[in-house]
Amino acid sequence: MSASLLLQAVILGVLLGGLYALLAAGLTLYFGIMRVVMIAHAAFLVLAAYLAWWINREMGIDPLLSLVVTVPLFFVIGVLIQRLLVSRLKPLTLTMMSVLLTFAVALVIEGGLGFLFTGTQRRIPLSYASDSLNLFGAQVPVVKLIAFGLAALSLALLFLLLKYTRFGQALRATIQHPEAARLVGINTDRVAGYGFGLGLATAAIGGTALSLDATIYPSLHWHWIGPLMAIIVVGGLGSIPGAAIAALVLGVAQSLLQLPMGPTWAQTVFYIALFLTLMFRPQGFFGGRLAKRF
Amino acid sequence: MESESKNLLELHDIEAGYGRAALVLRGLSVVVPPSSVVCLVGPNGAGKSTVLKVASGMLVPRSGSIRIDGRDVTGDGPQRMLQNGLAHVLQGHSVFREMTVGENVMLGAFTVSDEKVVRERVEFVQNLFPIVGERWKQLAGLLSGGQQKQVEFARSLMVSPKVVLLDEPSMGLDPKTTAKVFEQVARMRDAGTAVLLVEQNARRALETADIGCVLDLGRVHISGPAAELLADPTLADLYLGGQPSSGTDASTRS
Repeated sequence: MSASLLLQAVILGVLLGGLYALLAAGLTLYFGIMRVVMIAHAAFLVLAAYLAWWINREMGIDPLLSLVVTVPLFFVIGVLIQRLLVSRLKPLTLTMMSVLLTFAVALVIEGGLGFLFTGTQRRIPLSYASDSLNLFGAQVPVVKLIAFGLAALSLALLFLLLKYTRFGQALRATIQHPEAARLVGINTDRVAGYGFGLGLATAAIGGTALSLDATIYPSLHWHWIGPLMAIIVVGGLGSIPGAAIAALVLGVAQSLLQLPMGPTWAQTVFYIALFLTLMFRPQGFFGGRLAKRF
Repeated sequence: MESESKNLLELHDIEAGYGRAALVLRGLSVVVPPSSVVCLVGPNGAGKSTVLKVASGMLVPRSGSIRIDGRDVTGDGPQRMLQNGLAHVLQGHSVFREMTVGENVMLGAFTVSDEKVVRERVEFVQNLFPIVGERWKQLAGLLSGGQQKQVEFARSLMVSPKVVLLDEPSMGLDPKTTAKVFEQVARMRDAGTAVLLVEQNARRALETADIGCVLDLGRVHISGPAAELLADPTLADLYLGGQPSSGTDASTRS
C-alpha cells in the first residue's frame, strides 16, 4: 500500500467524517432536547436529496440552490412534527414510543418517494461531478470537498447559534435542566419545537450535500440510519461535539479500512464501535464532561 | 382589607394534588409579609414542596386562591408568576451545569428586556454573592454544592422578585456550607426580598426565619413567630426532633 493511497484515504475519511458529523448533529439535537430517537432523520435526508434532484431535473438549477427552499421547509415540518406528534407522547415512555412513531414517519416518506418517483436509482448529473483537485498529492473529488465545506459551514453556524443567540441559550438551558429553564421564564415547549425544526433543517443541508455524490433511491435511508445512530452513541448521546468527533474518527476509520477490506466490510466499523462502546463505555466516549457543552 | 396591603404573597385555602392521585394540599393557607423569611417545616410528605410548586405556577391548584400584592393571580403559569414577582429555586442542584456561571445568571434575566436593568441586577447579585463575580467565566457544574446554590440564588434574583421560593436549600450540603447558605438567605431578606422557605433541616431554618409554619397532612397546623415555635417544647418534640440539647449544635434527627 503506497503512502499516497494512504494519504488519499485519510483525506477522504476526514471529508466523509465531516459529512457524517452534520448528518448526526440533528439526531443529537432531538435526543438532547427531548429524548427522542428520531429514526426518520435519515429518511428526511433522502427526501432532501430527492428534492435537490427533482428541482435540478425540473429547473436545471444547481442542487445547492434547492437549499433556499428545503431548509425553511424542513424547519417548519420539524416544528409541526414536534407539536403535532411528538408532544402527544407520554413523558414516561417518550423515548421508546418515539422510535415507533418516527419509524412510521420514515415508512411514510419512503412509500411516498417510491410512489412519486418509483424505485429507480437516481443521480444528479453535475457538470463538475468528475472534477477533482490535487491536495498534497492526493486526488480529491470536488463534490466531496463541497459536501465537506457545506457540513463545516453548517456546523459552525449551528455552534454560533447555540452558543451566542438568545434562542441557543434557551435551547441549551432546556437540554440541561428543563424544569429550571421553565422557572427562568423559558417557554420550553416552544423551544423544543424550534429545536426539532433546527434538527430537521440540518437534514435538509445534509441530504443536499449527500445528493451531490450519491445515487439515491427511496429505501436508501435504511443504509444511513444505523451508522448515524452508532455515531451518536459512540459520541455520547446528546453531545454535539461528541458526535462530531466520533463522526470524524469513524469516517477516517471507515475510509482506511476500505483499502484492505473493501467498502462493504468497512461499513462494519460503525457496528463494531457501537458494540465496544456499549460494552466498555455506555455513556459514550465524549459524553461525560463534553456532553451538553454547547 | 388590611392583609391585602400587608402581605406580598397570600395562598388561601389551597387544594392541590398531582394527576388523579389524592390531594396533597387540603385547605392550606400561608402568607408572606414584606422583607421576611417564612419557613415551612413538617414531616416528609406533608406537602412542603407542593406549596412552592403551586406558588410558582408549576402546579395549578384545584381550588383556593393565590394573591400577590393583593392581586389575584390564581391559575398563572411559571412565566406569568415570574412576571408577577415570584422566583423559584428548585430542590437539589438546578444550575445549568454545562454553562458558565455568567450564562446561568444572565438566563435568570431571560424575561427582562431592559439592558440597563440587567446590568444593575448583575452588579447587585455580584455584591450579594461575591463568588458569582469571581467565577463568572467558569462552568457552573464544576463549582461546589454550596457555590452552585449561590449561583441559583443569584439567578433567581435577576428578575428583582418580590418573593423568592426556596425548596430545601440545604439539601446535600455539609453543616458548614448549610450555615453559609442560611446566612445568604438572611442577606437576601435584608436586601429587601421576601423568602418563602421549605426545609427538612427544620431547626436550622427556623433560626433564620421570622415566621414559621408547621405543615401536616396538607394544611398549616401551627404558625407563628419562628422563635416561639423553636421555644415550644411540644412542637420541638413532634416536629423538630426533640429539645435542643444546648446552644448551637442543635440539629434535627432525621
